Amino acid sequence: MNVPLLGLETEYGIIREDLENSDPVEESMELLKACARKSVFRKWNYSRENSHLDMRGFRVTALAQDEEEDAFCAADRARPYSYLDMKCDRVLTNGARFYNDHTHPEYSTPECRTVLSLVAHDVAGERIIAECAAIRNQELAGNPLQVFKNNTDYSGHSYGTHDNYLIPRGIPFADVVDGLIPFLVTRQLYAGAGKVGSENPRANHFRGLQLAQRSDFIETLLSIETMTKRPLINTRDEPHAASERYRRLHLILGDANMSAYATALKVGSTFLMLNLIAGGDKLPDLELADPVGDVLKVSLDKTGKTVLRRKSGGTIAAVEIQEVYLETIEKKFAGENPEWDWILAEWKKTLGELKHSPEKLSDRIDWAIKEKLFAEFMQSEGVGWDDPWLKSLDLEYHNLDPDRGLYRGLQQEGAVHSLLDENEIAAAVLSPPEGTRAQIRGKAVAQDADDIKSIHWTGVEFTNGERLDLTGVICVEEVEDVLNSKGQLV
Amino acid sequence: MEMNDPLRRDEKKESSPDRHDSGPSGPESSRPGRDNLLKRMKKVDPKQTEKYKQRTGQ
Repeated sequence: MNVPLLGLETEYGIIREDLENSDPVEESMELLKACARKSVFRKWNYSRENSHLDMRGFRVTALAQDEEEDAFCAADRARPYSYLDMKCDRVLTNGARFYNDHTHPEYSTPECRTVLSLVAHDVAGERIIAECAAIRNQELAGNPLQVFKNNTDYSGHSYGTHDNYLIPRGIPFADVVDGLIPFLVTRQLYAGAGKVGSENPRANHFRGLQLAQRSDFIETLLSIETMTKRPLINTRDEPHAASERYRRLHLILGDANMSAYATALKVGSTFLMLNLIAGGDKLPDLELADPVGDVLKVSLDKTGKTVLRRKSGGTIAAVEIQEVYLETIEKKFAGENPEWDWILAEWKKTLGELKHSPEKLSDRIDWAIKEKLFAEFMQSEGVGWDDPWLKSLDLEYHNLDPDRGLYRGLQQEGAVHSLLDENEIAAAVLSPPEGTRAQIRGKAVAQDADDIKSIHWTGVEFTNGERLDLTGVICVEEVEDVLNSKGQLV
Repeated sequence: MEMNDPLRRDEKKESSPDRHDSGPSGPESSRPGRDNLLKRMKKVDPKQTEKYKQRTGQ
């Protein structure tokens, strides 16, 4: 397997609407404490984290953040809480990590082996967080705590949705970068969650709906940073696996999709691109002259016809870049397996509809769903894109509250494509993906939570001193070996 | 979870709205569902994003 494991991490927005100054540190902690699901609490092994190594072969002494966040962090240190208090780490029976990262509740899916199982686990995260919010709201008067699966507060603050792919260390990182950049610049044509307005001065006071929430915040090609100067490809070298065998590609430019179909297409197309690169075939030369600038340029034009300059000379439309990659991958992988065929077919259909009948995307691609929904609202109320109401509607699209969220309303009306059935989502809430090390982790949490001393992606340490090292447990056979030798984990 | 089952995918497609290739559907605002959704949208505080302040994440 060239890409044996996949995962998604999503930082959620959170607010207390009954307070003049909602405190995200307090609210995120209370949300995590409200989780009633069986879990290992506050035992994440931070000694196994190392976020300062760079793929390009060096180590940084510190990661940067802006001055405002520096000030917030200084104030946080005066709070009567320890670091672990504020993190509130939970590891759930499905193998996921649920915790607070930079004051945002974050759901990190368990490691998955297939695209559609990953999508089920991403949706499971929405369900678990909404459940916690409902419990917390029972403690509060009214319904004041609201949680959003989005990436912006429309005032210059962004928080991430990161897609992760474990790939062989043997693939030169330069090949990954060269192969992926034009694809990633244009992936937002179907993966963008849509955003009203822009927070980027380069957008020249853009009015209307742009394709993606994160495109305002991509400032450089490669960087280890995630909170400032966000890159097209993050260079953090932290595989959470045997580093001599693997690297974890950590992409931070993606949006939080409400549409499970859009998530599947985003992760699925990227997964196939990485398989193509891993195969070592010569890729089409689509190198762009200004890929960083093109991210925003593509986002501001929903037709996909934006013309981009090629480094070799000449130009190419954004959608054509996607078509060239799709055609190349089709030739290589068509018929490989049903899931890959499904991704290829849906990718092709989506690009075709984007070009010829974009209104057909309005049941499954987030930005297109918003465009149709908001157009109806503007017509009904006689308001335009400049009205602040539109930004508020945009935010409310991402609200996880089933009685308020606009995407949730569309789901209830059957107006959006339903990729997963309830049984699949319910299974992902409880159980880890089979044949992955998350299965071992989840089993340990389900059976032996009280006996766990510390836990991490790469292993579990028990109170009796036994340690289960999962660093090298990646393939199905390696997982089965551990499960067979550890019928009783402790 | 039988995610790779092609039959399952076919079953999904049977009920999928995008199986109907009759082109873009007409205005749906008269449908009860759309009316409910418009009501939901009208309840949104127009100033909600002004109050929605977050801290920078990753």
